[in-house]
Amino acid sequence: MRRTLSLMCIVLLVSGISIRAEDVTTFHAYVDSDLCARLMLGPITQSRVECSQKTYKDGSNAVLVRLTDNTVFSVNKEKLLKERVGQLATVTGQAKVKSGTMKLESVMPEVESNIPQGDPARRLLDVRTYKTTASAQIHEKVRHELAMIPYITEFDFISFTLVDDTVILTGWTVRATNRGDAAYRAKSVPGVRAVINNIEELPLGSSDMAIRADVRTRLQRVLSTYFWSNGSDIKIIVRNGNIILLGNVRTQQDSDAASIQAKSVPLSFHVFNLLRVAPDAPKKDKG
Amino acid sequence: MNNYRGVWKTVRGCLAATLLAVTLGCSAAPKPADTAPGVKKIAAGQEFSGFLKNYEQLKPNSNLGENALTFAGTEARKNLRSYFAIVVDPVEVYIATDADATKVNEDARLALTNYFQHALVAAVEDAFPPVDKAGPLTLRLRAALVGVDVGGQVAPGDAPTDAQPLERALNIGKVGVEMELVDSVTGERIAAMVDRSNLGAGAEVGAVQFSRVEKFEAARHAFDEWASRVREFLDSAHELTGADAEKADKSYQPYQ
Repeated sequence: MRRTLSLMCIVLLVSGISIRAEDVTTFHAYVDSDLCARLMLGPITQSRVECSQKTYKDGSNAVLVRLTDNTVFSVNKEKLLKERVGQLATVTGQAKVKSGTMKLESVMPEVESNIPQGDPARRLLDVRTYKTTASAQIHEKVRHELAMIPYITEFDFISFTLVDDTVILTGWTVRATNRGDAAYRAKSVPGVRAVINNIEELPLGSSDMAIRADVRTRLQRVLSTYFWSNGSDIKIIVRNGNIILLGNVRTQQDSDAASIQAKSVPLSFHVFNLLRVAPDAPKKDKG
Repeated sequence: MNNYRGVWKTVRGCLAATLLAVTLGCSAAPKPADTAPGVKKIAAGQEFSGFLKNYEQLKPNSNLGENALTFAGTEARKNLRSYFAIVVDPVEVYIATDADATKVNEDARLALTNYFQHALVAAVEDAFPPVDKAGPLTLRLRAALVGVDVGGQVAPGDAPTDAQPLERALNIGKVGVEMELVDSVTGERIAAMVDRSNLGAGAEVGAVQFSRVEKFEAARHAFDEWASRVREFLDSAHELTGADAEKADKSYQPYQ
């Protein structure tokens, strides 16, 4: 009896260790801010480093960008990344690509020269090797497919970059279905070989919900021409009290007005105004 | 000291009188055996159960076949697209006009309503994430199973030993679904649906855990199918067509 029990314990221990060993992974990563990681896709340039450090300081969360394929991971122990935002690191932990999350175990500082020449991780570090030489036709097809996602609202923002035949999806959504639907639609475009899905599903905390509703009401009142019955040109992303404004407006005054309105919302921490001023943005009918 | 004794006597007297009154009251009230308190009956001669506040707005929906009537508000900011979270209320049960309500006990009612509530959540949760409480941008889903009838006795062999059999099975052969989505804060109606698809023909529920009893598989399929038709309705209401599709296409530019 005792022998059987000991044997069972050993089997359980060994299987536990092997499962654990399978899950834990180590890779080279760039420590980014959530905001820049999901918007500034492309090589790690000086402007990206500046973006990472500035937006992290302003309240955007620290995340990891895996250098080999640009996958973004939100982490459980953000403290481990605190001192390394805007830098390279070798990280170890349990990474879940499907949900874009990682249970961090260790973070070691890394220097570019330590990454061997020819290593796929080098691609993101060099503007000469990172090329987005993709077909304009495929780009337009992917864009159209993503524009037609039915459950997108003003509280979702989905963007993409086409690198060769790989679509890298980025952004934030309040609905799980949008994350899956975007990947499915991008993958269904002929000529697309792979899809990397960096769309984050936002938490639905009650204060974030209140902020969303409040920002929308205020913007609709002041900038009604950008809203129509089933959508809007302005996207309102709310994550843990931080507000990100995205999309196109026609004038700088409109952009400033949006900022002022968003900043006046109670319970919000920081407003990142990333609205682009495009004077030729199509004017929407009211209602 | 004597004063305290006097007060205590009065209090004891009052307590005894209250206890007597409560006991008498309870024994005098008609006790409807084990009838589930949440069960309602469809009034005789009525086309609908009365679960929805009004039925006038409902129109046939070609996407869902001839047995479905739906309504989806189109007013700006008071339509389905203005919300994305959902609170799913406990499901209500309306038994058929000629059914004996005393034969539907609480276990039976809960077996039906719990399963259907979970089926509804599973069908909509990736599009409308469920939340615990009402709030902004949140819909409340109210639903009712309408036309439940009392079935036969459940034979001992109908449910396996690990499933609790019901005293009487419930027949869902003529059941339909009525549901409504309202603004969780104001209660204003945003969408509604009456689905009379005959999906439960020949199906009965005879155990509390009927979802894992093979004999009652047809009932499980029927509930899942009704729930998925609710989702189909939501999908069709969100589909971008015509001018909306054009606007969405024109407006969308990836961030570069």
